[in-house]
Amino acid sequence: MVDKVSIWEALGFRKASGVGEAGWGYTLIVAIVSFIYFIPVLMIIFMAIKPQDVALSVPPTLSPTSLFGLIPDAYVFSPTLENFTSVFSRSMTAGGAPEDTGFDRYFFNSIVIATVSVMLALVIGTLAAFGFSRYPLKGNDTYLFIILTTRMLPAIVVIIPVILMFRVAGLSGSYIGIILLYTAFNLAFTIWMMKSFFDELSLDVEDAARIDGSSEIKVFFKICLPQVVAGLAATFVFGLILTWNEFLFALLLSGTDTRTVPVAMNQAVSSGGRGTDWTLLAAIETLFLIPVFLVTFFLQNHLLRGVTFGTVKR
Amino acid sequence: MTSTTVPAAPPAFTAFSPDNWRLALIAGIVISAVAIAALPSGVAFWITGIMMALVAIAATMNAVRRRYYGGLLVAPAIAVLFVMNIFPLLWSLGLSFFAYQSNQQTIRFVGLNNYIKVLTNDLAAKDNWAALTNTAMFVVFTVAAQMVIGFLLALLFSKQFPLRKYLLILVLTPMMLSVVAAGVFFTYYYDPTFGILSYIMREMTGEQFILMDNKAGAVAGIVFADAWMWSPFVMLLVLAGLVSVPKYLYEAAAIDRVSGWRQFRTITFPYIRGLLMLALLFRTIEAFKIADLVILLTKGGNDTMTISYHLIRIANEQNKTSEGAAISYLMLFMVIVLTNLYLYLANRRTQGN
Amino acid sequence: MTAMTKLKGLATVAGFAATLFVGGATVASAEDITLTMAVPDWPPTRIMKKMFDEQYKPASGNKVTLDVDFIPWPDFYTRVNASLTSGEQKYNFAVSDSQWLGAFVEGGYFRKVNDLIDADPELKATMEQMHPAVVAAYSTYPHKTPNYYGFPQFPDVIVTYGRKDVLCNDEEQAAFKAKFNAKLPCTGEEIDDMDWDMFEKIGQFFMRKKGDKLAGQVLDDDFYGIAYQAGKGYDFSSMQINGFIWQYGGNTWDETQIPTGQAEGVVNSEAAVKALDHYLRLIQYMPPVAKTGTMDIFKSDELFREGKVAMNLDWIGLGEASLDPKSSKVSDKLVFGLMPGLRGADGKIIRWSNIGGQPFVLTTWTTDAQIKEAMGFVKWWLSPEIQHQFAAGGGQSAIKSVYEDPKYVTYRPWNRAWAASLDWQKDVWHVPQFFELLTQQQDQFDLAITGKQDAKTTLDNIAKFQQNLLKEAGLIQ
Repeated sequence: MVDKVSIWEALGFRKASGVGEAGWGYTLIVAIVSFIYFIPVLMIIFMAIKPQDVALSVPPTLSPTSLFGLIPDAYVFSPTLENFTSVFSRSMTAGGAPEDTGFDRYFFNSIVIATVSVMLALVIGTLAAFGFSRYPLKGNDTYLFIILTTRMLPAIVVIIPVILMFRVAGLSGSYIGIILLYTAFNLAFTIWMMKSFFDELSLDVEDAARIDGSSEIKVFFKICLPQVVAGLAATFVFGLILTWNEFLFALLLSGTDTRTVPVAMNQAVSSGGRGTDWTLLAAIETLFLIPVFLVTFFLQNHLLRGVTFGTVKR
Repeated sequence: MTSTTVPAAPPAFTAFSPDNWRLALIAGIVISAVAIAALPSGVAFWITGIMMALVAIAATMNAVRRRYYGGLLVAPAIAVLFVMNIFPLLWSLGLSFFAYQSNQQTIRFVGLNNYIKVLTNDLAAKDNWAALTNTAMFVVFTVAAQMVIGFLLALLFSKQFPLRKYLLILVLTPMMLSVVAAGVFFTYYYDPTFGILSYIMREMTGEQFILMDNKAGAVAGIVFADAWMWSPFVMLLVLAGLVSVPKYLYEAAAIDRVSGWRQFRTITFPYIRGLLMLALLFRTIEAFKIADLVILLTKGGNDTMTISYHLIRIANEQNKTSEGAAISYLMLFMVIVLTNLYLYLANRRTQGN
Repeated sequence: MTAMTKLKGLATVAGFAATLFVGGATVASAEDITLTMAVPDWPPTRIMKKMFDEQYKPASGNKVTLDVDFIPWPDFYTRVNASLTSGEQKYNFAVSDSQWLGAFVEGGYFRKVNDLIDADPELKATMEQMHPAVVAAYSTYPHKTPNYYGFPQFPDVIVTYGRKDVLCNDEEQAAFKAKFNAKLPCTGEEIDDMDWDMFEKIGQFFMRKKGDKLAGQVLDDDFYGIAYQAGKGYDFSSMQINGFIWQYGGNTWDETQIPTGQAEGVVNSEAAVKALDHYLRLIQYMPPVAKTGTMDIFKSDELFREGKVAMNLDWIGLGEASLDPKSSKVSDKLVFGLMPGLRGADGKIIRWSNIGGQPFVLTTWTTDAQIKEAMGFVKWWLSPEIQHQFAAGGGQSAIKSVYEDPKYVTYRPWNRAWAASLDWQKDVWHVPQFFELLTQQQDQFDLAITGKQDAKTTLDNIAKFQQNLLKEAGLIQ
């Protein structure tokens, strides 16, 4: 084994070998497809670095650089970072001095709420999935299906009882309330995903361990869990993406202190007594994309190795 | 699951022991009911809570002593789901049998009238059916597009090639966007004056191009945006299946000179069928709820109203809570039938092989 | 009622289950008085909060905090409605669109303020200083009865936004004269005297293609004559169409005539059909987005700011952005005037328009101590000095002594149209069914705007729906 990984290898420049490996020609094809697929996102990112006055120019400006004269000047804009500063500080009144917009708080809220609730759902959901997989209850499939039905209705249907419940319990506007709600929101997906992972594991190893006298707890932590780490990563990423962008519950149940970015983002959709502030919205979305982009990127290997399970059983 | 010792026998109903959950449950219900009826709500609230905690403790003790591991493991998830999800759902199910508007203080029992109104009233029902037809159309188009695009993208990425990791993340990014932001930006891309789409079409044809001024265009616009956002979800699931196919199977097939199609059908497909099914299941459930993109792109104009947007209007804007609940339960019924059909077909295929 | 109580009891139980996980609730401070207020997030409310924090000294000597929940406009109704109707009892004050009054008064959420006004002669005097159109729209429910609920936060009307650089250009002036034998309106006064025919001519005149000349310069993109709201969302066509209908002598369903006022025969009267036809005819001179049914007040404003149209009719409330060179390509080329009207047989212009803007309203669960402080705040807010400051910072005032002050027109260029416009403002319905009426009407108007049905069918459908709904609700006999 080579113990030193060269920078080229780390970047993915590996010698093509064996079945299913392709070379640079193939990379080029995939790169073109991926780039085309990425264009709408790229245009949002470019919008985030456009000066406000060219945001809606016709013809649309498409690039921050002329690429050595490759792109005609009419399509080129000069990039700026101004929009990112105005996410956090800008004038909120006509002609007033720049003030704190509170977005640092909203980002903090989004990160805390999404991370905690997805982790919580992962813990509770994994336990439940293990239960459903290894110790089937009477009517196991029915339980699983009922859990799935909680994802079937639009959030608007349950919102009134939930608001009332939160008020009675003193949970309105608190982190705990919205985190618990998101935990429930994530459980269905978590349980179904994780159950599929546990179903895939070979029972032989577990039974052998039991015969050797291992307790059920030990079997779960020492034998089953290590085998599904990749699955946990995959479920985490999917859950994070869904929770990160959840809007309606956040709108109706968060207080001024616990507001998340997707709710506050609409400041830019109807901004300062006018319609959409395109550059500001793009800047918010671009910043908001970064954390979940990084998490996905670093868990990507797990995502590919992880999401492997058998058939859906009912 | 093997156990070396015999679990303890269940306690007698009248026995006063910490694991007698049946007694605890009955006592809890009786005491809570009395408290709710007799005491002010603030006090009753806490008494009921203590009773629920007692029942929970008793049930847990019972499960531990009798080795009901399944129940123990599942209980926290069920508890959270019950409080945050199932209870509110049952509440609104209950409301669907009453005439109740959330902005009025009166409520009366009307039985199935809301359902009858939603389905047959000559003013209300027409809109519901139209919205339902449109939703079915969106479900078919968006899910089909996502499955096809997601599948093709997965095939593209199933091989090992240089820079794969960096190109893959580009394709995954759309699903990380917030739906609101993505939708608002699609209104910009589709805008006939400022948008890139109309600009390109005009440079090519010389004619003014307005995508969203007819039903076909409006539907295409919404389906494109939705499919673009969520195909990566399908792709990732399918890709995971594709990369899990052991390579020796392909090598063996190559030696036997099995045709490409047959290789796909007999080797590849069995590995991705379950994942395809899961993707199909979750995407169908989500597609039934499509509302955000419709609100942002057309406001339901050009006959693109969906049942979920219709529901938002009725239940939220117009505060017709019980009518909204009736619609949503009819919708739930349809989704349940459909998903069961999926799962039935999936299992039959599995057993067939 | 009892079933509801039981359901609420159930909620109590479930809510408790939730606290079990949590183990605590937040406790409000008892010492100081906090007024919680739900407001849309935009400059007129941001300024109010700022002025309060910097200047307000409660007469009582208590420490009063104004806890303002700034909610983005697109979700404002959803949030406020859900909060009020769920019984969350979170807000003491809410900014409310005038149309919402009935729904929330009937529900028991908005507090009647007659006793508070009567108890305070100063406030009463202030209310009498207020323009009657504003009081009727923002305060009274049932409409135009002396039952008061709200105080103006930001009153608003539709005015004409024009581009001086193209309207006053000599070449364009000459060409217009040659074509129509009329003077192309250029100054504010000339725009004030503009009727719909002139508006239409301007629309027709300024339709230019890419490569054509506009005011001596070659265009690099298509240019359009006029714009007004023609969108399907919220009230983004009704607010313009209502003006047309009233000017033509037609009417919307009149809630002051309950229970004898009809919808059928009124809403779809011949005059109303003519009015709607007129409204629809002008759309051909507008930017192509109008054909998609998504040209709302924001889109037409954006097109104007980006320099794509010569004239736009829009709310004053959206004006600031067009003055700001960062968000407006026409910031130094603006001229403002009254919204056009219909020229009558006598040569005079018949004027009516739908009022916009928002009052703020007290909620019923506000405690006596809070009400005392709240009224102190309201009085301070409506005092001439503060109203002047508000107007100088971009707000509007409906108090006579303020808007008639010569200083007032100097605050913003559109203020010259403000006082005159107030006299001919009316409002849509305030009944609890307003959202149903509005949604159906907007849907129908959208069909007409996108060319799927004619004006007659549209108004017939609306009238039939309203007749039915209002009859069922007992508002039409």
